[in-house]
Amino acid sequence: MSPEALERELDQLHSAAFGWALACCAGDRAAAEDALQASYLKILDGRARFDGRASFRTWLFSVVRYTAAGLRRRAALRRWLPLAVLGATPDGRPDAATMLARADATRRLTAALDTLPGRQREVLHLVFYQDLTIAEAAEVAGVSLGTARTHYERGKAALRKLLKEEPE
Amino acid sequence: MTEHDDHDLGERFHALRREDAAAAPPLRATLTAARARPHHRRPGGAAVATALALVALVLILTLRSRHGGTVDLAGVRVRTPTDFLLHVPGAELLRTVPRFTFDWRVLQ
Repeated sequence: MSPEALERELDQLHSAAFGWALACCAGDRAAAEDALQASYLKILDGRARFDGRASFRTWLFSVVRYTAAGLRRRAALRRWLPLAVLGATPDGRPDAATMLARADATRRLTAALDTLPGRQREVLHLVFYQDLTIAEAAEVAGVSLGTARTHYERGKAALRKLLKEEPE
Repeated sequence: MTEHDDHDLGERFHALRREDAAAAPPLRATLTAARARPHHRRPGGAAVATALALVALVLILTLRSRHGGTVDLAGVRVRTPTDFLLHVPGAELLRTVPRFTFDWRVLQ
């Protein structure tokens, strides 16, 4: 794929990719932007190559997920090492500005999502937010279809319960 | 879970998506920031190099300790951990022949 074609594809999926990066970084905007930049850099300099086996969107989301996980691991390592020279480390929690900017309903949704296990949260985000099929969500999350379906059903039930418990 | 509930959940997520999309940084700015990032070496490279150096060091130390000096086996006295089992009480009496006088007194 030519660099121009890559940029066109990224342009179409940019806001969705940002939403996915936010989900991968537990709502931390700075960490999400960092993960997105690192993902785009990998794509543009050819370290991540689209081979056409999946759709561009599921492939891009896989790259973002993998990159965000790598950055999270590095941030966790930095928290253990006294390396101030490496800069501030995100703590994997939503930042205050992002939370304040949210409407009440979406704030309740994100708060409920935060209490779910990571895999359930991922699958629900991919299906409901990104409108992927469960099979595509499984591909992005790197799990089997059956596992993704289980996470989807359990996550949906848990989320519905949490949202009902919340005062309107 | 009913379809209505699914639709309701979908609506909530779509509202979240609209909020995120409004707050997303422009693609151009993200690409510019991405290109300005330092090109890191593969993070695994340093770890692999360190592991190889460690393995080499351990190998060198092991080989050196094995072949470093010659041992004169003739001068070595082996002491097994079960040596003490061979020491029976009164064994020293058996190694010496007592000498007696004519009236059967034992000479020291």
